[in-house]
Amino acid sequence: MALTTTSFDVHDTTLRAFNIRNLKRIDWLMPILVLCLAAIGWATLYSASNTSNPLFFKRQILFFCAGLFVALIIICVDYRLFVSLAPLMYAVVVLMLVGVLFAGEERKGSERWLNLGLFSVQPSEFSKLALIYMLAWYLGGLGNRIRKLHWFLLTFVIAGIPMVLILKQPNLGTALTLAPVVVIMLFAAGCRVWHMAALLIAAISIVPFVWFEMKGFEPSPPEYVAANYYGKLKIRDALREQHEANRKPYDLHWHQKMRIYGYLHPESDKKESGWQTYQSMIAVGSGGLSGKGFLNSTQTRLKYLPEYHTDFIFSLLAEERGFIGAAMVIALFTAFLLRGLSFALDCPDMTGTLLAVGVVTILGFHVFINMGITVGLLPVTGIPLPFLSYGGSFYSTTMVCVGILMNIPMRRKMFVY
Amino acid sequence: MAQTKEPERYEGVERRLQVVGVCLFALFGLLCFQLWQLQVVQRNRFEEESRENSQGLTRLKSSRGVIHGRGGVVLADNRASTEVAFVPGECPKARIPEVCARLQELIGIKADALMAKVESVAKAPYTQLTVKTDVSKSEHITIEEHAFELPGVVAVSSPQRRYLFGQTGGQILGYLSEINPEELQDWQGYYMMDLVGRSGVERVYEQPLHGQDGYAMVTKYASGAAQLRTDRRGVPFVATRDSLGHSLQEEGGRREPVAGNPLYLTLDIGLQAKCEQLLAGERGAIVVLEAETGGVLALASAPGYDPNVFVNRGRSESRSELTTSEKMRNRAIQEIYPPGSVFKIAMAVAGLEEGFINENTRYFCGGTFTLPAGGRSFKCHSKWGHGSTGVIEALAYSCDVFFYNNGVKLDIDRISKWSHLMGMGDKTGIDLPSETPGIVPSREWKAKHFEGKPEWERRWYTGETVSVSIGQGGLSTTPLQNAVLMACIVNGGYRVRPYLNAEADPERSERLFSEKTCKIVTEGLRMCVAKTEGNPQGTGRQAHIEGMTVIGKTGTAQVVGNKFQDKYKSEEDIPYEMRDHAWFVAGVLDREPKIAMCILVEHGLHGGSTACPMAKEVIEYFYANDPKRQEQPAATPAAVAKAETP
Repeated sequence: MALTTTSFDVHDTTLRAFNIRNLKRIDWLMPILVLCLAAIGWATLYSASNTSNPLFFKRQILFFCAGLFVALIIICVDYRLFVSLAPLMYAVVVLMLVGVLFAGEERKGSERWLNLGLFSVQPSEFSKLALIYMLAWYLGGLGNRIRKLHWFLLTFVIAGIPMVLILKQPNLGTALTLAPVVVIMLFAAGCRVWHMAALLIAAISIVPFVWFEMKGFEPSPPEYVAANYYGKLKIRDALREQHEANRKPYDLHWHQKMRIYGYLHPESDKKESGWQTYQSMIAVGSGGLSGKGFLNSTQTRLKYLPEYHTDFIFSLLAEERGFIGAAMVIALFTAFLLRGLSFALDCPDMTGTLLAVGVVTILGFHVFINMGITVGLLPVTGIPLPFLSYGGSFYSTTMVCVGILMNIPMRRKMFVY
Repeated sequence: MAQTKEPERYEGVERRLQVVGVCLFALFGLLCFQLWQLQVVQRNRFEEESRENSQGLTRLKSSRGVIHGRGGVVLADNRASTEVAFVPGECPKARIPEVCARLQELIGIKADALMAKVESVAKAPYTQLTVKTDVSKSEHITIEEHAFELPGVVAVSSPQRRYLFGQTGGQILGYLSEINPEELQDWQGYYMMDLVGRSGVERVYEQPLHGQDGYAMVTKYASGAAQLRTDRRGVPFVATRDSLGHSLQEEGGRREPVAGNPLYLTLDIGLQAKCEQLLAGERGAIVVLEAETGGVLALASAPGYDPNVFVNRGRSESRSELTTSEKMRNRAIQEIYPPGSVFKIAMAVAGLEEGFINENTRYFCGGTFTLPAGGRSFKCHSKWGHGSTGVIEALAYSCDVFFYNNGVKLDIDRISKWSHLMGMGDKTGIDLPSETPGIVPSREWKAKHFEGKPEWERRWYTGETVSVSIGQGGLSTTPLQNAVLMACIVNGGYRVRPYLNAEADPERSERLFSEKTCKIVTEGLRMCVAKTEGNPQGTGRQAHIEGMTVIGKTGTAQVVGNKFQDKYKSEEDIPYEMRDHAWFVAGVLDREPKIAMCILVEHGLHGGSTACPMAKEVIEYFYANDPKRQEQPAATPAAVAKAETP
């Protein structure tokens, strides 16, 4: 990075927010990769919706179009405008997160939606983008001062507020996706390595805590194994109530323990906590090298896989397309993310670099966690796969991320004027 | 506008981004590695699991084997029972109330109840809801006629057990009920809700009768149950949609069910009906055996029950009432009674074989018998005595004193030995469940029975031997054992194992006693029945049939001691439960097949007057109507019903 930085006023960008000439510098590899992934997503979703509801497929195309529209707007507007608005976004999101705790409606168990009259929104989805912008604004403005401990710690206060609020919902999945964003952005911003190391060691020290928590946790006592279906439900309900009644404030919730248990014993209790993981592994494994063929999956067609439109769509892909198809998708994602990382590398502006790193991290993390769950590497938590999973909110988030990424290289020439 | 300085850019950012890139590569590499592991290395295992997931077997039930009686008469078969079912998913939603109402008009079900059922399966609309089980033929036809008004209504037929003769032979055939958890665990090829034999031959021959279930391989969804229907000829097929509405298809690999093996019994249902008719209103049992082989021709026990009651799952009240009632007990094999004078047959054989008596031995009967040592006296049933009595007369006139003398000489252990040899005190081995062995007392038995009691209670006294000599005093036998005893005499000295399964090989013991002994005893028993010129006549004279050699022995077994009965002036005044049991064992020597029989009427007072006439009727009926000898068609349910109504 030998580019000399000219003096540049962040607040000045409002005047040059849109500049048609910038579009000439658009990166062409990125949209091709995005289109490839989106096309694969449509094909997979077509297969998924073929036996359930064709509406999923049609809607997903609509979501893509809507996302594309949003992405185009983002591409056209200088990212520094949005970065400068970051504190405002952050404040609004935190307020929404607080609001959702009191007035939110629950859907699918843990996700909380805020009803705004005309439409419902999922504040935790916004919090991902808001936090990236906020950290880019904060760390970009901070520069080398991040090497000081208190500035370093302040980052965690900024990130911690929405994370705690999301955890309260309780939505462990989304809260977890925010963590690597903070860590990687701090790392890229140049924090001291030993600060980070100390932090990571602290994080790893959670493991003994979890181990201690999980000690003696047995959701399948002998009488449970022997009981019939309704007896099982009854025993589980009783166990859960007992657990929640005895739970101390720092203890994990029953459903969180169940997930960890299911991860630790995926085959022990096939019909229960490990069911999803195990069925997903069967789907992936039975695909073999070349897959069962388009529309020929049995695991999903026969509804052994839950959520196969959304969180487990990669299992469907791996079942129908085999190792070749799945590895190809992984390769496409890798190319996409590395391209995003190269934008960060080439961006002379620290804010832009951080923004790109944040976006790459959050998308990469989604991809890794989602695929890790479907192949049985990680415990089940509801995290969608970019471009493939069905769902409007997350598709638009993804497209916004794409817009942000593509926006960054377009601006870099600005400095040589 | 104030110029704010762009903050210093961190120098190492390039390096750190490379680290991030490497991490990204590593993580995605890990994903690829795991994919390789699952999809290539462990592929076979997961393919197998996937196949197991996706294909389910839907069971096609086999029908139970048919049970035939002597001469091939069908005793139990399977009829097509039609169930009317409603599949809400196949009926337009708006028309469901109309269809329910129409069903109410046509086959008289409750429309509201059906509507409630429809509501309850709203989440699984393709569940086949039972509207009415076991509909009549006319109702079935009505449903078919109105098929266009009744969308979603289907008729499903299934084989259902039918006992053609109802109560006749019911206890022998047994009944069916749902399999219990232990059986489910132990038996191969059985499933929940299967009906299995609970008593009688249905239980003993459960495995061959059950048959082998078939299956149809269909797509199996993670949830939802395949629904089985039948076409118009009763051939089952899997409905195209499972209970949740997933479309299914048969994936080949169908295996047709194999019906259970037919079972052929030695039971002569006509004779059985005759016996049950004779016992009507009484408590008792009649056993008729083929003397040479031990084949059971009739094994009646009264009161009995109709196993058809258990076929329908619906009428549970009458069922539970029945299962606890005495009607379930087969008195011929499960109840024990003192054999009374019938036991004198065994006593005569034992005495002759052990050499204590021969055809010339005579004892004087003066009405009482006094023990040499103690001085306690025992009465003969004849107040004035029989005078000087040999073994033949003693059997013919049932002289107690002769057998008291004989018994005291033999002593209890020899009596016990011969009783066991001739089939008493042990299970006879008939192929029916829950047989009772009965009791033949001996020194050993008494010592064991009164274990822990003082020595004087455990010791055997000669006085007890005297009681046992005439079939009282702790001796307890089943009617079937007495029939086996009679068969021993009729067939010339072989103990047979009574059996019902005509395809089983008859088993009989070595010859137990000599031809001479047999001849002497037979003569005594013949005299018992025969109408002789001189006076007195045998106790079994009422069983005499002109032109046929019938042998027999009456028995009158006391339930309570003499002193209780003596309180009452006449026999009619004695309370029912204190009256004597009436026994008669009989055999026919000069007809084929030779038969041996035993009749017991509980509290029937006298063997000679109560049981003997029954024996006569049974013998006459059997030789006139033996289905194996006659060209005429075998007994039909209608004919038996006719015979039963007086």
